[in-house]
Amino acid sequence: MKRREMLRASVLGGAAAALTPGLASAKQGATAKAEEKSELTPAQRGVDASDELKVANWKPVFLDEHQNETLIILSDLIIPATDTPGAKEALVNRYIDLVMAAETHENQKSFLGNLAYIDGESMRKYKNSFRYLSREDQDDLLHSMAYPLAGSTWTGEAAGADPGFTSFEQLKTHIGVAYYTSQIGMKELGRDDNFTHGVYQGCDHAEGSHK
Amino acid sequence: MSLFSFADDPLTKTYDAIVVGSGATGGWAAKQLSEAGLKVALLEAGRAVTPAEFTEHTPAYKLKYRDHDPEIARTRPIQKQCYACMEYNYTWFVNDLENPYSTPEDKPFTWQRLRVLGGRSLVWGRQSYRLSDNDFKAASRDGYDVDWPISYADLAPFYDIVEKYVGITGAAEGNEMLPDGQFLPPMKMSCGEILLRDKVKAKFGRTVTIGRAAVLTKAQNGRSACHYCGPCERGCRTFSYFSSPFTTVADAQNSGNCTVITNAVVAHVNMDNGSNKATGVTFVDRMTREVKEVRGKAVILCAQALESTRILLNSTTREYPNGLANSSGALGHYLMDHVTGGGAGGELPNMNEKPNANEPDRPNGIYIPRFRNSPSVKKSANFIRGYGYQGSGDAVFNFGAGGYGAVYKNAVKQGHYTIGIGAFGESLARWDNYIEIDKTLKDAWGIPALRISMTHGDNEKALMEDAAAQGAEMLEAAGAINIKMQARTEMPGMAIHELGTARMGNDPKKSVLTPFNQTHDVKNLFVMDGASFVSSACQNPTLTMMAITVRGCAKLIERFKTNDV
Repeated sequence: MKRREMLRASVLGGAAAALTPGLASAKQGATAKAEEKSELTPAQRGVDASDELKVANWKPVFLDEHQNETLIILSDLIIPATDTPGAKEALVNRYIDLVMAAETHENQKSFLGNLAYIDGESMRKYKNSFRYLSREDQDDLLHSMAYPLAGSTWTGEAAGADPGFTSFEQLKTHIGVAYYTSQIGMKELGRDDNFTHGVYQGCDHAEGSHK
Repeated sequence: MSLFSFADDPLTKTYDAIVVGSGATGGWAAKQLSEAGLKVALLEAGRAVTPAEFTEHTPAYKLKYRDHDPEIARTRPIQKQCYACMEYNYTWFVNDLENPYSTPEDKPFTWQRLRVLGGRSLVWGRQSYRLSDNDFKAASRDGYDVDWPISYADLAPFYDIVEKYVGITGAAEGNEMLPDGQFLPPMKMSCGEILLRDKVKAKFGRTVTIGRAAVLTKAQNGRSACHYCGPCERGCRTFSYFSSPFTTVADAQNSGNCTVITNAVVAHVNMDNGSNKATGVTFVDRMTREVKEVRGKAVILCAQALESTRILLNSTTREYPNGLANSSGALGHYLMDHVTGGGAGGELPNMNEKPNANEPDRPNGIYIPRFRNSPSVKKSANFIRGYGYQGSGDAVFNFGAGGYGAVYKNAVKQGHYTIGIGAFGESLARWDNYIEIDKTLKDAWGIPALRISMTHGDNEKALMEDAAAQGAEMLEAAGAINIKMQARTEMPGMAIHELGTARMGNDPKKSVLTPFNQTHDVKNLFVMDGASFVSSACQNPTLTMMAITVRGCAKLIERFKTNDV
């Protein structure tokens, strides 16, 4: 603010406000307007955060280096690049790191517990951490967790606790959400950039064709 | 002194009418009264909203947290229980830290509120159904509680007015439980929904119809027909769904007779004890915390059922020590909210349709009107009243597909055809479901907060169990597989259809309002919103609230003409 403006502001803001309560509330009104503006969400202010995860010197804030590398490998196994990009290219690990950093302690613990479970199984079966296994061993290990256990077909005994499947499913859900809400993920599903696609046409088959 | 003159200060005048709240009903009250030539002050607790802040076309990947913003969990832990409270628009919803309420520990209640111009009409579900005399006269048929003091014939002309202006897309069905109305062309049904409709009609004789929604399928009043982008709750640049700021409130302002005062958090109604008349309201400026007063010849509360009653409960005088207009003692009682949690879902195996990310997104679903305890069927053995279903069927991406890798990625894209219906059941009016002023808790503006005591009872539970079983049976008739039932009784408040607490009635000893929404006790004080409902029926209530408001205003305008206010 220039000196002259400062002077004018102090005259009007100080002396005049003391004279008339009306002006004081007009001033408060101006502050109020500014406060109101800050009540918009970033999206309502037009903030586009799509490139925020793409920064060159990105570092995880929640995961440690080992957890981050493990997550990159795991996510790219669960949603690999095919004829379309996979989880690694969609920076799934970076999004999960951002969201988990702001999660409740309980959810953070559960997420890290699930990652650790995979490493634990990897150590038990292959004497090495998951990220250092061969691609073939990684695949074998994940397949041992990827489907739910059934009970006994001989005795009818129900399947017991299934921590492998539970851990796998929870991690897969995180990875799926991170991937399919990314720009790459939306393209994978075929979504174009148009926000509207005409009038909903619904069923255009002849009456009685669905049986 | 011209620099310091505030001749236009809206608070120096005495208005004909003060309308508190700018949502679905407040907007209508402001429009009807100001267009009739009355001078109206429309008070809104929040700020104005402009189309520049609408985010309906913003894709999720542009959001920093893609709808997992931790700020929502921090400041809106209750509001986020509503699907419409998202990273896009969460500041439209109240900050729970600033707007507390209490409940008994064993009676959780979720209360979702917006404090911006237009209120919940910005994010509402838009489903719009008439009540019938099976609802207005339900007590005469089954003996529970009392009839409404008005009948369908009293309200029908006002339903017509509201529907024509709001714009309701829908199809006439001639159903005995669900009167038809003034409809714009119906939206289309999907193949799976058509299949369900035909099979349910053939096997059960029940109606499955396209939803009746407050969304334009033809342009009117400068509003465009829906362009099927999908998420109405983030705002609509073409004003295709009905929300008050861009329709009723805009009309009121254009009349030249309506002054909109935003950021006015109303604390209580002011009374002149000598004449037993309301003189206006006292409010706190939301931003500056200044306490201000606005004067009027009539005061009309349209603040939403619980908020309107809260204002009355906070307006005690020597004559009304238990809350203004509460000589009956009924104020605060008979709180209702539709019961939800019953329904069924499954897959239709023979639809041969793949999900399409670029399909027009229909902001509407299907509706199955109430069929239980209708005049033409045998009475249900273990419950009274009934429920209606909302639902939809479509090919969708299968994010829950099993396995991983290229197999999983492909299965997601191949998708599956799912269909589901969820019930909204009648919530019986009960004296012991009530609100009162919490003796210690206050909101951020120092206004005493509510204590809400409500549970769903055995009848509501039985309705949801029946809705699960009937839902499964109907989906099964359509050939659905992998059917799953839901027979829950969700926490009260979850339907966001709060009703009652200032019921209308002919008997001033047992009700708060007259059949024209005037308080029995104070001649120039009115409540025109869901608080006035006698029973909840099971239909989404906003359409009926608006019709009741227009009817109440018509009466009030007559009274102004004969100087009887």
